[in-house]
Amino acid sequence: MSFKQLQFERISWLLPIALLLFSYVAQINYDVWRRYSAPKIKTTYNLYIEPQPLSAESSKAISFGAKEFVADLYWLKLIQYYGGGDPNGKYRKLAELFTTITDLSPKFTAAYQTGLLILPGEGFVNEAIALGEKGIKNLPDRWEMPYYTGIVYHIYKKDYLTAGRYFENAAKLPNAPENAKYLAAIYYNKGDQRQTAYALFKTVYDGTRDSFIKERTAKYLAHLEGIFLLDAKIAEFKQRYNRLPKTLNELISTKLLDGIPVSPLGLTYQYDAENGKIIETK
Amino acid sequence: MKLNGSIIKSIAINTFRETVRDKLLYSLLGFAVLTIAASLLAGSVSLGQDARVIQNFGITALLVFLLIITIFIGTQLVYREVERKTIYLTLSKPLTRESFYLGKYIGLCLTIAVCALVMGVVFLAVLRWKTGQFSTPVIWATSFVILEAWLLTAVGLLFSSFTSALASAVYTFGIVLIGHSATTIWILSQKSQGILRYVLEMVYYLFPNLEKFNLRNEIVYNFQPDLQQVLLVVAYFIAYTAAVLLAGLAIFRRDEF
Repeated sequence: MSFKQLQFERISWLLPIALLLFSYVAQINYDVWRRYSAPKIKTTYNLYIEPQPLSAESSKAISFGAKEFVADLYWLKLIQYYGGGDPNGKYRKLAELFTTITDLSPKFTAAYQTGLLILPGEGFVNEAIALGEKGIKNLPDRWEMPYYTGIVYHIYKKDYLTAGRYFENAAKLPNAPENAKYLAAIYYNKGDQRQTAYALFKTVYDGTRDSFIKERTAKYLAHLEGIFLLDAKIAEFKQRYNRLPKTLNELISTKLLDGIPVSPLGLTYQYDAENGKIIETK
Repeated sequence: MKLNGSIIKSIAINTFRETVRDKLLYSLLGFAVLTIAASLLAGSVSLGQDARVIQNFGITALLVFLLIITIFIGTQLVYREVERKTIYLTLSKPLTRESFYLGKYIGLCLTIAVCALVMGVVFLAVLRWKTGQFSTPVIWATSFVILEAWLLTAVGLLFSSFTSALASAVYTFGIVLIGHSATTIWILSQKSQGILRYVLEMVYYLFPNLEKFNLRNEIVYNFQPDLQQVLLVVAYFIAYTAAVLLAGLAIFRRDEF
C-alpha cells in the first residue's frame, strides 16, 4: 500500500462529514435568504404565492382519468391558499380555483357550498352566483345550491325578489330546511310581492311543527292582512270619491275604517299618498 | 398452437414464486401501503372532506403502484430469462413456446391480483376505520384496476418479447398515458377535420381504451356499475388482451435468442 493510498484511507471518512457540514452551511444560508430577503424573488409576492390553476380542459387532460383526484389536490391547495392569508388581501385566484375544482368534479357539493360562502365576501359576487347556478345545474337535488345562492342575492345584491325565488326553489327540494319557505316568504314580502309572500307564509303556518316559526309566521300573516285591509279600503275610497285619500286618517273620517291596524311585527304602516300604496317602516 | 394445461400451470406457479421473491415487489408494496395510509393525513386537512379525499387518494395510489408493479416486474420477466439464458434450459424441455409465454402471463396476473388484494384490504381498512362504512364501489373500482393491470401485463409482455426491459417499460408507460387520454383523444378527433380526424380516431380505436376501466371517479358518489357495463368492460378486456397476447406469441414464436 503506497503512502498516498494510506493517507486517503485515513482521511476518507472525513470527506462525508465535511460535505455534510457544507450542506448544513448552505441550508442555513438559504433559510436566512428565504426568510429575510423576500424581495430578491423577482416575481411579485402575489405571483410567487398564488396558485396558478390550469383550465378545466388542461386539468382533465393531465389528470389521465383521475379527475376527482386532481380536483382534491386543487381543493387542498385552495384550503392552504385561503387559510394562509393573502398579504394583499385580494385572493385573485379564488374564483378561478373554485371553477377548476367544480369543472373537474361537478358533483362536489362542499366545494359549491364553500365557494358560495366565501367568494362574495372577497368581492367575487358575480362569480359566486355563477358557481351557484352551476351547482343548481349539476346537483339539481341539493337544496343547498339555490339556498346559498339566495343568500348571496339577499346580502350582496340586495335583490330580495330573486333571493325569494331561490329560497322557494330550495324549499321544493328533498330534505330542505323548514325555514326555506319561510325565508322565501320574507323575501317576497321585502321584494313587494305580498300576495305570493302571504300564500307562502300560509303554507308554512299550516305545515310547520316548529313553535317559533309558527308564532313568527302568524305575526307575518296578521301583518300582511293589515296591509291587505288598508289596500282594500284605499281602493274603496278611490271608487267612492274618485281620488286617492291624502292620509290614512281620511279612511277613518269617512267611516271606511274604525282605526289603523297595528302590525304585530312592531312595524308601522305608512301611506304613500302619490301612488296610494302602503309602506312598512320600523 | 399447442397448449398444455399442466405445463402452463406449473410455469405460472413458478413465475408467481419468482415474482413474489423479488425484493422490488416488497418495497413497492410497502410504499403502496404507506401511501394509502398517508391519505389519512391529506384527509385531515381537507375541511371536513376526509372520506372523499381518502377515497380519491387511496384509489389513485392503488392504481399507480399496481401499474408500477406491472410495468417494472412484467417487462423484466421474459427479458431476464433471455438475458440470463435460462430460457434455453426451459425451452429444451418438452414444452411449447406458447405454453411458456402464457404461463408467464398467468403467473404475473396472479402476482398482480395478490398485490391488489393486499392494497385493497389496507385501503378498505383505512376507509372503514375513518368513515365506519364498508365501501362496495371501492371493490368495483379495484377490480377494474386489476383488469387494467392485466391488460397492460399483456402489452408489457408483447414489448418485452422484442425489445429490452427498459424500452418495453417506457413503451408500456406510454400506452398507459395514451390509454388514459382516450376521452381527450376522442374529443380532439371530433373537433379536428380532414386527415387529422382519421388519424386521431385510429389512435382512439387502436390503443387500449383504459378509461373503460376507470370507475375511480365515481366511488365518492357511491356509484355501482350495472351488469351491462361490467359485461361490456370484461368483453373488451378479453378481446383486447387476447389480441395482444396472440400478437406477442407470434413474435415470441419467431424469436431467435
